[in-house]
Amino acid sequence: MTNQLIVVRDASYTYDQDTEDALVAVRNLNFSVAEGEHLAILGRNGSGKSTLARLLNALLLPQTGSVEVMGLDTRDEDAVWEIRSKLGMVFQNPDNQIVATTVEEDVAFGPENLGVPQAELRQLVTDVLHMVGMDGMEKRQPSELSGGQKQKLAVAGILAMSPRCIILDEATSMLDPRSRHELMTLVSDLCRTRGLTLINVTHHMDEVLEADRVLVMSHGELVMQGTPNEIFFEHEKISRLGLDVPAYIHITKALAKATSNPCTREDLESEDTAVRYLKRILRESRGETHEDARGETRGETYGEATADSETDASEPGASERPTRLRNEDVNADYNASPIIDVDHLSHSYNVNRPDQMDAITDISFKVWPGEFLGIAGHTGSGKSTLIQHLNGLIRPQSGTIKVMGFDVSENKDIRELRRHVGMVFQYPEQQLFAETIFDDVAYGPKHLGMSDEEVRENCLKALSLVGLDDVNLDRSPFELSGGQMRRVAIAGILAMRPEVLILDEPAAGLDPQGRDEIFQTILGLQQQGVTILLVSHSMDDLAKLADRIMILREGNLARIGTVEEIFADEELILANDLEIPAVMRFAGRFTDEYPNLDPRVFTPEDCEERLLEAAREAAREDAEEDPGEVSEEVSEDIAGEVPEDVSEEVSEEVERP
Amino acid sequence: MTFTIGNYYPGNSYIHRLDPRIKLGFSLLLMIAVFFLTKPIPLLLYGLGIVVLVLLAKIDAVTVWKTIKPILFITIFAFILNIFSVPGEKLVTIGPLSITREGLETGILMAVRLIFLIVGSSTLMTLTTTSLLLADSVESLLSPLKVFHVPVHDISMMISIALRFIPTLADEADKIQKAQSSRGANYDTGSFMQRVKGLVTILIPLFVSAIKRAEELATAMEARCYRGGEGRTKLNQLKMKTSDIVFLVIGLVYVALILFIQFAF
Repeated sequence: MTNQLIVVRDASYTYDQDTEDALVAVRNLNFSVAEGEHLAILGRNGSGKSTLARLLNALLLPQTGSVEVMGLDTRDEDAVWEIRSKLGMVFQNPDNQIVATTVEEDVAFGPENLGVPQAELRQLVTDVLHMVGMDGMEKRQPSELSGGQKQKLAVAGILAMSPRCIILDEATSMLDPRSRHELMTLVSDLCRTRGLTLINVTHHMDEVLEADRVLVMSHGELVMQGTPNEIFFEHEKISRLGLDVPAYIHITKALAKATSNPCTREDLESEDTAVRYLKRILRESRGETHEDARGETRGETYGEATADSETDASEPGASERPTRLRNEDVNADYNASPIIDVDHLSHSYNVNRPDQMDAITDISFKVWPGEFLGIAGHTGSGKSTLIQHLNGLIRPQSGTIKVMGFDVSENKDIRELRRHVGMVFQYPEQQLFAETIFDDVAYGPKHLGMSDEEVRENCLKALSLVGLDDVNLDRSPFELSGGQMRRVAIAGILAMRPEVLILDEPAAGLDPQGRDEIFQTILGLQQQGVTILLVSHSMDDLAKLADRIMILREGNLARIGTVEEIFADEELILANDLEIPAVMRFAGRFTDEYPNLDPRVFTPEDCEERLLEAAREAAREDAEEDPGEVSEEVSEDIAGEVPEDVSEEVSEEVERP
Repeated sequence: MTFTIGNYYPGNSYIHRLDPRIKLGFSLLLMIAVFFLTKPIPLLLYGLGIVVLVLLAKIDAVTVWKTIKPILFITIFAFILNIFSVPGEKLVTIGPLSITREGLETGILMAVRLIFLIVGSSTLMTLTTTSLLLADSVESLLSPLKVFHVPVHDISMMISIALRFIPTLADEADKIQKAQSSRGANYDTGSFMQRVKGLVTILIPLFVSAIKRAEELATAMEARCYRGGEGRTKLNQLKMKTSDIVFLVIGLVYVALILFIQFAF
């Protein structure tokens, strides 16, 4: 048996024990962690996973049961410092874990506490900064670092204490996809090469795939345990827990079922095996269709193997979280006059100073009523400056902005504009201030001069829109959970009844289910005619939600177009440090087999349909004498899915040089 | 974005490298000394000393002007107040007011002192010393007080953390103000009470966030084995060099000379 680093026996922890507010965070946990293992702890917000992480390094002590680290009981007061120095922890908020005013001092903070002699400290700092790739940044101040760099600094601070284990407590949840990926790669490489144990507490399923073993937490209990493959093989169960399942597993299992093929865990070992497996079964089904012999016997033989998942899927609630999101039926009115018209807009900070910075340069675009426009771009691409213009928070230096005919550049009373344009900033829960939920939501409407009755009516409507119908209006917003606070904050904007709603990363930090709920709310608003502008780093989300996408690069408009147009140009996406959506990437792996397959699908369901369709087409092709004709037909079919009339008109209007 | 209290002027001059404790102590001495000077020659010598400091620190004229600019208004105000209000021999009379010779002298003296004070202390401290080193030197200078059970380490840790979080909270305040503005808050117009009410919408979220940050930071510090100043080592220990001693000795002699001229003649 391998050497156990951590042994947790029957551990429970309750916050505010023996009071009215007692809250059981974790209950009867039993597991152990081997030296050098990569363990992932997966769970929704509030599932107790952070409490669990804190129990491991004696920041919290179990009230019943025990936690042993390196053979030391965490309740042993003499062992606490030894345990904490060997189990380093990176927390969620990059800002709230940097203690010192310079990078080097912060790295040295841990070793200083341990009394490492001054003579060794300098070399130690240089060494660990090199390990995390931050050489030469010793004298930088924390405020000069990006979020990703701050988290790397936190990792360096831990490495400086020569740990045996690194615990990431949702350390990536406030980072953009690229920094998230960088940090995960850095930490897992470091742990592998140094033989360190890695415990990653997260709700991001893609980070879990790399782990040796996954623990799934729900309501304070350990509900699943196994390799990522074992865990995700039960994808319905994971879905029901409000967590994400890798798209390839979803698609492969659904297609296996549709073609009555057995699907084993080995087939789903990785995306590669899944692709191989799918290609095989699709080829077989092709043959079967061709011979007009459906795999009935096969279905019977393996019926039992899939029975489990079938019953699960048919259960009410199993499909509580539909992956299909976009409002296909809501079409923006492209014949109306644009609701937002931005013309040659430029803005620089620190004008005429040596540190002048051009935030956005010569940006022109239009948005039509009822449209859903996604705004993507890397950090520093000018997204934030651009959207602040649309709300009058920044006045244009050159160029013009018209919102509903209201000329932002000329008009003095900017409040008139804000009546029409609602703005939800990133982490909007941080702007809550009032004593009661009602007062907070009512703040905006009151300032618009609505009557008391109108204010009340709009507040209730807004709270119901965000799914908080039965909330006690007299409660303090600060007593709510993080996700609920965010919804109250969003309701505060919706209560102003904006015609245009701008949202900056509204799902940041939320778990998969919370994210989907917010998106459903936003789509609901679009259905009611509200024009939506959504800023996001996640191309996965934008592809699923938006009608059109705008990509900004270093303050310039790199491209604006329909989702189909944008994703037709993969190089454009990659050149802008954005990601190809997972489903599309997966579909793209079948184009060698099916050259006519259009990989631009963004939900697992669409991908399944399209793969089946491609297989059917290929089967028909096999049967036909002259395959050339058919393939033409196919490509027409696929092109037909792109709303051509719209995209043409839009690109004409927008892509004027 | 770099943040320093009082605009750090990056460089590596003799003054930049000087031990911050000496800079802190010496600028305190300069501040006190200037208030004893009333005669032209000591003041001139004092001014000369300041010029030498500025030259040693290699600070350009524009930066010196920038440090004076914020106090210019109050300097002129003090000057005008003095020339009219101090009783004495009348030089010019404008309506009911008259400028006196004594008033003029006091006015000039006040203005010169203020300008010397600000240029001297910012050259020695804020312009050439990072806030981190300032906090360190406070700890070092206060350390004798440990004998009297003054929690010197904790005070210095608090100063350091405050310096660390000022830019973070400033950013946050800006963000919250924008968010509330877009909900119709107006911080520029309206009655006094309305503006105070408006301020509440920024201050409360800011406090809530600061408390949350404090809690999380405390947890993070504990996780990194922080347990007070006992047994801690330091990456950057302040060390007195020969050149520091030379500066201190010359500086002290010079100030003593100025004070001697002031009081002996």
